Amino acid sequence: MEKYDVIVVGGSAAGLTAAQTARRHYPDKQVLVIRKEEKVLIPCGIPYIFGSLESPLDDLIPDGVYEKMKIDLRIERVIDVDRKEKIIKTDKGSFGYDKLIIGTGSYPAMPPTPGHDKDGVYAIIKEIPYLTEMQKRLKSAKNVVVIGGGFIGIEISDEIKKSGVENVSVVEIEEHCLSQSYDDDFCVEMEEQLRSRGIVIYTGSKIVSIDGGEQVESVTLADGKKIVADIVILGIGAVANADLAKKIGLRIGLTGGIVVDRAMRTSDANIFACGDCAEKVSFFGGNSSALRLASIATLEARVAGANVFGIKRETPGTIGVWGTAVGNLALGTAGLTEKMAKAHGYKVISAVNESINRHPGKLSGAANVKIKLVFGANSGILLGGQVRGDASVGEIMNAISACVQNRMTAEQIAMFQSGTHPMITASPIAYGIVNAAEAAISKMVEAKDRS
Amino acid sequence: MSRLLFVDDDVDFLEVMTMFFEKHGYKVETAQTPEAGFRKVQSEPFDLVVLDVMMPSAFEGFQLAKNIRENLKLTDLPIIILSCIHERKQVPYRFAPDRDYLPVDIFLDKPVKPDSLLEKIEKLLGENREKPAQDL
Repeated sequence: MEKYDVIVVGGSAAGLTAAQTARRHYPDKQVLVIRKEEKVLIPCGIPYIFGSLESPLDDLIPDGVYEKMKIDLRIERVIDVDRKEKIIKTDKGSFGYDKLIIGTGSYPAMPPTPGHDKDGVYAIIKEIPYLTEMQKRLKSAKNVVVIGGGFIGIEISDEIKKSGVENVSVVEIEEHCLSQSYDDDFCVEMEEQLRSRGIVIYTGSKIVSIDGGEQVESVTLADGKKIVADIVILGIGAVANADLAKKIGLRIGLTGGIVVDRAMRTSDANIFACGDCAEKVSFFGGNSSALRLASIATLEARVAGANVFGIKRETPGTIGVWGTAVGNLALGTAGLTEKMAKAHGYKVISAVNESINRHPGKLSGAANVKIKLVFGANSGILLGGQVRGDASVGEIMNAISACVQNRMTAEQIAMFQSGTHPMITASPIAYGIVNAAEAAISKMVEAKDRS
Repeated sequence: MSRLLFVDDDVDFLEVMTMFFEKHGYKVETAQTPEAGFRKVQSEPFDLVVLDVMMPSAFEGFQLAKNIRENLKLTDLPIIILSCIHERKQVPYRFAPDRDYLPVDIFLDKPVKPDSLLEKIEKLLGENREKPAQDL
């Protein structure tokens, strides 16, 4: 039986990153990844399979890194783990391990709705044959209903519409699409963008049933409205796949994920878990967090991989940083929105800055970028921020995340030393993050003067 | 003494759970149909409810959870759903707690070991739900 120092189960964002990190931190150790998929999809690229890309095979994580980093790879299905003897059993054999990292990912969540199992109802399952079949069916579809107006829902709707499907509708239960991570004004802009591209949006709407014979024919909303559908796509979130962990007796948390500490250790000292399969706590207040993102998975994997032979890192908890784009409109968010912060019990001061991301604004590629920052009113510490604009919002959202993670105050952000250039950034006079912080400081000064 | 209600059509399961949880100091009530369960929750105070959703069809179990939340307005009563729907239906997705679609606290796949259920119940009952974060 082959024996490895580190075995990683799962080869997507969490598994591959954990293996790479373990390799970097422990160059003398033997590292093996066992995954069940022949090829692994880039999870965040899945919506683009249905419009911009030709096939799921255009959306793959390259395997070249295994050879380059001297990480062994086996395509096998893990059946069981003997924790006492430290042996992994797969459908093809057994491997001994010293340390084990579990990155088994998630399942798509499905609302318990009558008709969920009808032909033509799809969830976003990260498997190539499933998505290939779905893509084939979509080619002849006329009416597609997407349940869930989160980023997966809106990106898929837009891609499907782009591919030529006549009627595409999004059904969102909240008052606005994206409202779990964006304040209303940002959500409304995205909804307008979707509508301008021919997508019909039902917000504040809940599906009560998926109807038809064997094949789906329509969905019924709580207000009685029926929407014709030959394909229904569910995009309402993800649930930890902790099947293996449950089977081998690791502790499972209240949301169904594997219980881990901040060092990503499970209830077995030799087993770590990271990514969608692991329970998460929020960066804010430490409550349990249901967010599942590949970027969170890789952060946790960088913690788990580094810690296998001694604790070196801890996760600060999930901030919740992610962007989305439809056409030329992009949104980015990091941390709490104003609405969420208030719901968490924070007193907040928020401020918005809009400026052009070129100087002068007549230069080609110029776009108006709006930045909203949300601060704790008492401490001045940044709780979160949102950005709207063109592709440049991607790294602005990440800069905001860096400020959140370091618990920077409005004053510190106002003193931020940015670099600017006419062709690639806003002007130093109108630099967005800094000016939004300054605007918040003005409000704090006003509030102090009043009291 | 915390009061638990188990709703399940499997009499043997109810008996095992009653014995186990009474031994651990809980007061246990049972109901064998969603209707009987609903009437009990309506008329008596419980600290936590455990529902099996395959009785007799999955959606009746899910519906009972919704009725407790929506009709009885018991938004804070902890509800645990036990189910073998994933195993039986072999679907490639999962049902999960959802504020709107499945307003329960925990969704557990059967079989569930009593010890593991006890741990989750203790945690739910001991937990201060949705504590506000520290004001920064």
